[in-house]
Amino acid sequence: MVRREALRLMGAASVFSVLSSDLFTATLQAQLAANKSGALRTLSPAQNEIVLAMSDVMIPVTGTPGAKAAKVNEFVDLILTDWATEEERKIFIEGLAEADRKSEADRKSNALFGHGYSAAAPNEQAAIVQIFDEELATSRNEKLPEQVRSWEVTLLHPFFAQMRRLVLVGYYTSPVGQEQELKVEIIPGELHGCVPAEPEVKQ
Amino acid sequence: MSSVKKPETYDAIIIGSGMTGGWAAKELTEKGLKVLVLEAGRPIEPDRDYVEHLPVTEMKFRGMNDRQETLKDQPIQRTCYACDEWASKFFVKDTEHPYTTDPEKPFAWIRGRQVGGKSIMWARQSYRWSDLDFEANAREGIGVDWPIRYADIEPWYNYVEDFAGITGQAEGLPQLPDSHFLPPMEMNCAEIAVKERMARQFGRDRVMTIGRAAILTQTHNGRAACHYCGPCHRGCITRSYFSSVNATLPIAEKTGRMTLRPHSVVHSLIFDSQTRRVTGVKVIDGQTHKAMEFQGRIIFLCASALESTRILLNSATPEFSTGLANSSGELGKNLMDHIMGGGADGIIPGFLDRVQTGKRPNGIYVPRFRNVSGQEKNFVRGYAYQGQAEREGWERGIHESGFGASFKNSLRKPGPWKMTFHGFGECLPNPANFVEIDKERVDAWGVPVLKIHCEWRDNEKALLHDMMIQAAEMLTTAGAVEIRPYKQNNPPGLTIHEMGTARMGADPKKSVLNPHNQAHDVKNLFMTDGACMASSSCVNPSLTYMALTARACDFAVSQMKKGEL
Repeated sequence: MVRREALRLMGAASVFSVLSSDLFTATLQAQLAANKSGALRTLSPAQNEIVLAMSDVMIPVTGTPGAKAAKVNEFVDLILTDWATEEERKIFIEGLAEADRKSEADRKSNALFGHGYSAAAPNEQAAIVQIFDEELATSRNEKLPEQVRSWEVTLLHPFFAQMRRLVLVGYYTSPVGQEQELKVEIIPGELHGCVPAEPEVKQ
Repeated sequence: MSSVKKPETYDAIIIGSGMTGGWAAKELTEKGLKVLVLEAGRPIEPDRDYVEHLPVTEMKFRGMNDRQETLKDQPIQRTCYACDEWASKFFVKDTEHPYTTDPEKPFAWIRGRQVGGKSIMWARQSYRWSDLDFEANAREGIGVDWPIRYADIEPWYNYVEDFAGITGQAEGLPQLPDSHFLPPMEMNCAEIAVKERMARQFGRDRVMTIGRAAILTQTHNGRAACHYCGPCHRGCITRSYFSSVNATLPIAEKTGRMTLRPHSVVHSLIFDSQTRRVTGVKVIDGQTHKAMEFQGRIIFLCASALESTRILLNSATPEFSTGLANSSGELGKNLMDHIMGGGADGIIPGFLDRVQTGKRPNGIYVPRFRNVSGQEKNFVRGYAYQGQAEREGWERGIHESGFGASFKNSLRKPGPWKMTFHGFGECLPNPANFVEIDKERVDAWGVPVLKIHCEWRDNEKALLHDMMIQAAEMLTTAGAVEIRPYKQNNPPGLTIHEMGTARMGADPKKSVLNPHNQAHDVKNLFMTDGACMASSSCVNPSLTYMALTARACDFAVSQMKKGEL
């Protein structure tokens, strides 16, 4: 259902005023964000390059833009700066260094010359992510029995678990993720409990 | 010399503007009274303050909440699921509203101080009590007997439901009487399957029904039907769920007889030992911190169970040295909250070509089945489940392996159907669970704070354990796979059904309030929030508070007309 139709169904003039007040808040926040954008506060330029490259390997361009276009790196920097604890931040920064080390080791074994993750070729970058992902899967299985259900979102996890969360949240909650990839409807207007899934549109 | 200004006098003063204060305001103004509503917090203007449609893209932390800020200012409030990045502004700052507990006995006191109170963020689940509940204390010799029965409150359930609008499905169960329902919300594919499979196994013993909620599924009393945007706790500009701001206060406002005064922190009540009546209220202005007084013929305490109790404890007089209207000694005692968080989830295979559209702000409900007929060995009373089936979205990718284009494409589609049963159990009244004034501390307005002594006891713990086991068993019956039973360690308070600290009873020696929510000791004082509860049932309590409030208002006004008040 299109948004306008949903609003019509509600038949409440006040809807428009709240939407415009939402819009007002949104504009304000967008302005605040714009003032900050581009100026990274925790990631160094080199670290930022690693985040950009790795996030785009994880969520690449398909029929829709990928993590890089969604500026996931800026979200990562925000979380590291204003949200994470010192300990969590340290794990993440150390993980980026580990990505470089893995990358260089990989290159040496391939008798190639290079300087770290962000300079590696796409297939090599993907291979490093694969290694991280497998390591994480192993550590998850080891920790399974002691997993406690908790409402608390924390980044006190291995580097690649942090990376997964931040890249996915950063991407899927961005305008690109919400509007282009997921096509989220803020006001569905109707509830249907059990209907056929819409056939997928080829991207 | 400054002239002494005579305090303003009202027919009634209502303390609190939330779930029950809103009802008292509506009822008393409609019956012709000139009413002052005192609200400790700020005014709420839906156009300005509701944020349910604000997209996640606009939130600074994209829904991950302002962790550092809330750790500093709202370390307790942030443990409530509804205190999210959008709605945290509807919860108090713990730094301004301290309270104390025993070491190692945490109590999560979740509070909303604004016009509308917690009725803005409540979970809207609305269930009637039955005589199974009202008779339980007498039957088991626990606490005091309820001085009322279902027949006393039934017409008032009808009355408040017809106004508020409750969606649900009639089931004809004796332990959970049907409401006057608006059309039910639809169950989704997996829920329908689970319901049918449970029915085959359990018959009428364990029924799964759609949640009963104070949400409009059709236009009702001038309010629009739900548009299924999902996060009701952030407000609702179409006023489709019940809150005092959305429903009762506008009616009171229209009568022209309500004065609503926000930023009015009640310090205590003023008692006249000659007339044995309360004559007014001592207030501290929330913004200027100036002390002031208001006078009223009757006073309704509707500030939430613990705040109302705190006001009476802070209103001690030489005659009532342990708190106003406390000749019974029961004020502050018998604190209850529902024990929640025993349950299980599991995957219901199949239905992968089907989806639910629209975000349903309501779940399913499995009414109490323990100790309904017969008696369990390990515990008295029972519990009910809330729950839902849902297909997880992209979030599942956080805990999965994989990356790249195929991973991204897989996350665009919803995951398998996951069914959850989450139990809510009855809590027994126990005088050892109590609150008192902590003489060492005051809040940001200089009002002495509560010290809360409360812990789960054996019966609640036994219920929690059984909830987990039976949830897993029901999922097995329903054909679920990957079943994960769980038992959370939630502190009392976190269910936000705190109640019981000024219980109702027939005997003035054993209870604070009479069968009409009127203080035994002070005839023109009424208390209609959760403080009045003599037991807790296992169902969500707000609907019962609404009914008791409307009933008490009717009684109070009829007494005034007879000249008895």
